[in-house]
Amino acid sequence: MLTFALDLNAYLPIGILIVMALLFAVVNLIGTHILGPRRHGERKDTPYESGMDPIGSARKRFNVRFYILAMTFLVFDVEIIFLYPWAVTYTKLTPGSNDAALFLCRIMFFVATSIIAYVYAWRKGVFRWD
Amino acid sequence: MPEALSAILTPQFVVSVLVVVLILHLALGAAAYFILLERKVAAWTQDRIGPNRVGPMGLLQPIADGLKLFVKEDYIPPKADATLFILAPAITAFTALIGFVIIPFGGMIDLSTVPFAGTFGWTGQAQIVGANVNIGVIYIVAVASLGVYGVVLGGWASNSKFSFLGGLRAAAQMVSYEIPLGLALLCVILTAGTIRPDEFVAQQTTGAWNIVNQPLAAIIFYICLLAEANRTPFDLAEAEAELVGGWHTEYSSMKWALFFLGEYINLFIGGALFAVLFLGGWSLNPIAGLIPIDLPSAGSFWLILAQVGIVLGKAFIFVFLTMIVRWTVPRFRFDQLMRLAWEGMIPTTLLLLLVTSFFVFMGWMDFMWLASLGTIAVIWIVHPMLPKQANPNHKVALIGSRFSPMPDEEVVSRPTHSAALAESGVQS
Repeated sequence: MLTFALDLNAYLPIGILIVMALLFAVVNLIGTHILGPRRHGERKDTPYESGMDPIGSARKRFNVRFYILAMTFLVFDVEIIFLYPWAVTYTKLTPGSNDAALFLCRIMFFVATSIIAYVYAWRKGVFRWD
Repeated sequence: MPEALSAILTPQFVVSVLVVVLILHLALGAAAYFILLERKVAAWTQDRIGPNRVGPMGLLQPIADGLKLFVKEDYIPPKADATLFILAPAITAFTALIGFVIIPFGGMIDLSTVPFAGTFGWTGQAQIVGANVNIGVIYIVAVASLGVYGVVLGGWASNSKFSFLGGLRAAAQMVSYEIPLGLALLCVILTAGTIRPDEFVAQQTTGAWNIVNQPLAAIIFYICLLAEANRTPFDLAEAEAELVGGWHTEYSSMKWALFFLGEYINLFIGGALFAVLFLGGWSLNPIAGLIPIDLPSAGSFWLILAQVGIVLGKAFIFVFLTMIVRWTVPRFRFDQLMRLAWEGMIPTTLLLLLVTSFFVFMGWMDFMWLASLGTIAVIWIVHPMLPKQANPNHKVALIGSRFSPMPDEEVVSRPTHSAALAESGVQS
């Protein structure tokens, strides 16, 4: 119960800041909406395309490389998230002890699996944008 | 419930709330004046004067700009997705504003030296930090990566091709540079053995600054911060020459201003984070392990005030350096940007992570700077053995041009015009 209270006390300023930041954003948006004029016109309402009539929709299909990149990113981002708790535990161990060796070998194996994925993606040309 | 209230209203909590409120306003004011500074730096770089009409030396320019933007037309394009269009700048400003809360701006303050603290019966010590939570730097990484939503949603909702392309590029760039950022951060965490920012500072005041311990990680972290904040040379998302304004092409009034506030607050927070992680926070001695002279981490009101000034000063130097970089370095091409992240920095940081963890295993914490040197040496040796990819900068042969002439065609590559001959002094 006591630890819970301490944790709440530590996290409470974040809650206050979140409320203040939300208020800042909302007040600004509402304020400028009230204060500013609003005019519409036929030419003004067209999407900006260097002054010419827009050709086609803006929601087009785009290059598949962006999807592949996003998937590769997910692999590495999840890996990094797993590495944070490992790093904190690993540095608390005695250097050179058996436990530390075990931890090092485990993470070497874990990183090696993602390096294999990385090399595969590299050879498949995921990182080539030319 | 006065008892429950006094359990919450501890001195640390009150100090934290004060820090949160003060730094929030400081960040907003600093962002406004960073915009003025950026324009001044641009002017100095290009041998101009810069804004100097509003107030002395143009110092009231940010206020004038803010007031002007506030009463400008709040335009929502009829074809845009109105909800997302309004949400996007709010997300950008919101995520930028909540990031700084875990950064320690000073050490432990002795409350008995603070004016008026005695009247409330507060004694003991409190830390100058918004929230000293145990997730530490993971919080700031998580919040910073939320910022990509503002850019992507803004680009998507505008229903303009320039915005859409800018949003796509920004998304690809930000997710790509998040990986080396996280890996470089991991190297520092391994060096410091903690993820709490105040313990980072304690480690650096007793040992050496992490920029000495991990110079390679520091450089990569700085580059990634530039890319995450969409600063030149990584500002492809708003490349004026090709995408007009990028994802904020269709934005106006305060919505547009929120994007810019978010960018400059991100820059300020990035500087403060870099100061805490790599530049020793309020430490003044980069190698305190060898020469143990430094500011104490706990003390009176005035000492803590000096510490806050030092952290903010380091953040300011970071921001100023970033501005000079912006007006000096040309922009990358998109394939170069992607190659730098995926084929350059990610393998480098992975290798640095493995070398660092080996150093930690051997207990060579005092020689951690050798890890960066070792990584560079390994790359130097291994790099020529890696399979080469096609040079993206190769010249496409245009048959019949003077660089790729037709067979048996005679090409004159020296100047032939009479005026050119007279100027160059070439005798034909």
